[in-house]
Amino acid sequence: MKIRLETRDLARRLLIYESEADKSSVPEVSPTLRVYEKLRQSLSAFAGVAGFQSLASRALALAKSEDPRLTEAHLSEDGTLQGLGEIDRQIDLHKTAGAETPSAASVILIARLLSLLHIFLGETLTASLLRVTWPGAALDDRNSAHGRNT
Amino acid sequence: MSTQDKVTINKLPTGVPGLDEIVGGGLPEFSFNIIAGAPGSGKTTLAHQFVFANATPERPALYFTVLGESAIKMLRYQQQYTFFDPAKLPGAIRFINLSQVVLDKDLGAVLEQITREVEKANPAVVVVDSFRTMVRKPQSDMELQSFIQRLALFLASWQATTFLIGEYAEDELRDNPIFTVADGLFWLRQAAERNSIVRKLQIVKLRGQDSVPGLHTFRITDAGVQAFSRTFGLTGHAKNPPSHRRLSFGIPELDKMLGGGVREGDSVLVAGSSGTGKSVLATQFIAEGIRQGEPGIVAVFEERPQAYAERATSLGLDLETPQKEGKLTILYLRPLDLSVDETMHSILDAVQKIGAKRLVIDSLAGFEMALSPGFRADFRESLYRMIFALTGIGVTILSTVEVDESFTEFPFSTYSISFLTDDIIRLRYVSIDGQLRKIMVVIKMRGGNHAKDIREYEITDKGVVILGKRLTNYQALISGIPIHSDRPVSTEEPALDTGIEHKT
Repeated sequence: MKIRLETRDLARRLLIYESEADKSSVPEVSPTLRVYEKLRQSLSAFAGVAGFQSLASRALALAKSEDPRLTEAHLSEDGTLQGLGEIDRQIDLHKTAGAETPSAASVILIARLLSLLHIFLGETLTASLLRVTWPGAALDDRNSAHGRNT
Repeated sequence: MSTQDKVTINKLPTGVPGLDEIVGGGLPEFSFNIIAGAPGSGKTTLAHQFVFANATPERPALYFTVLGESAIKMLRYQQQYTFFDPAKLPGAIRFINLSQVVLDKDLGAVLEQITREVEKANPAVVVVDSFRTMVRKPQSDMELQSFIQRLALFLASWQATTFLIGEYAEDELRDNPIFTVADGLFWLRQAAERNSIVRKLQIVKLRGQDSVPGLHTFRITDAGVQAFSRTFGLTGHAKNPPSHRRLSFGIPELDKMLGGGVREGDSVLVAGSSGTGKSVLATQFIAEGIRQGEPGIVAVFEERPQAYAERATSLGLDLETPQKEGKLTILYLRPLDLSVDETMHSILDAVQKIGAKRLVIDSLAGFEMALSPGFRADFRESLYRMIFALTGIGVTILSTVEVDESFTEFPFSTYSISFLTDDIIRLRYVSIDGQLRKIMVVIKMRGGNHAKDIREYEITDKGVVILGKRLTNYQALISGIPIHSDRPVSTEEPALDTGIEHKT
């Protein structure tokens, strides 16, 4: 099952948003982990830790089949993402002609998780959930600068 | 205490069509309620309807899920219902999972987390789904009782209306402290009866509220739970005063036999065997009402509305135009697991929509067949409630019933329901001069004079046509095999009975 372009784009915007946010405060945490962690906390609150963990394990399995760089990644019992380690830097943001672009592996992982939310909750509820999780992000506006509300 | 001194308990809409009536006008604000029932009985859906009807961003609903259904799956299915408004999530309706604290810690910690969330959100509605799983870990009775008491006290003090959802068995009612503490107890049941599923709802208790006792049927459709009150939603409905008006059949000779027509608000039974013209008579009754500006409802069970209207056309009666003009509704009620209450709901909706004054039920046998087997056992009792409720609001009901033709007996109804009706018209075949002819007689008119005459009639392209005068040159007509006598055919006007009721 392929990821829809809109979902990839949404994942990309979330990653860009997080790469712009808090650069100075937590520089060691990659945007991929920050996006993932926010989703984990938000989803675990209403679906439970086990609920999120099972969903994330499916997303990770699908993402691994698409991008071998994610092979070492795994989930802990509470659903946190581990094992990105060295590859984290490779799969995260590239510097491309002065602009930061999320790597394909990051986009795939987050997009897979969002796809599952679309399947289970529907687009409207998923959008509501994301709006609460990223209140400052303009997730519906693809033309906004760095995905931020202006 | 005077009325002014009493505290006012606000009533909240349940969001469940028909349930407000059952609970006495709405759910008491700040009440602590249990929804109990077996898996699949509609507990969660009912709670969701209440939540969607009452939650606002200012006073949200907190929906605590525990170890049962996952919130993701729950939302996936619940959003299929039409009441589900995704715009209310997560601002006005917030799902919070308590599984971890329930698994890892004790009831004190669970209460602490609920307290924190409630203090943070200031909710108007709190739901715990399922409460049963929350308290499943082994603990002493005192611990459990203390937890329930503190939870109920806290949530009421924080002005939240609460629903605890649980899979309870009815034999737990006596011993479980939760039922003592609860202000309201809603019990949902579903039972298989032959090939049908029948769902019933009981308000076992509801403090401070005049709820309707008994078991009420309910259905779960794409609109969610819909409840059908045993009082048919007519509680507090103004009763129409008895009328002395007579309603015409549009058949002058029959009207004369009825002493001027059917009394408004009566229940009329037209009984006869197959082919005697019961439906024709019923159609003429409804068509005449429309002609006189009285909208009507025809509830059909054995043929489709289109076929019913086409048959009327063949009798020179136009039922198409009044349907388009909103003066006539032909209801086709054929599902095989209906309850009388649901049927009544459909009929009442139609009555209220077009202001119907006449109702035809064609036929009682079809009506009975459309019911779930479990409801057929209570058919007479249900008919009684239905007829009483409808005639009480001034609707005149004509029901048709098929009776087995017997040449030794003269039964009025196979259902022994003639006591439910005010007036009975009996149609039957008789063997006369080598022909199977038809006769009609008014058996009973409650509180009014009617003809004692036995009249011959035919069904023509103008409907039922009563022939000549009463048949005086035959004896034992109602046996079906009369004996010819030498008396001449009567030329007298119909003789009226004094209204003495016949034993049926």
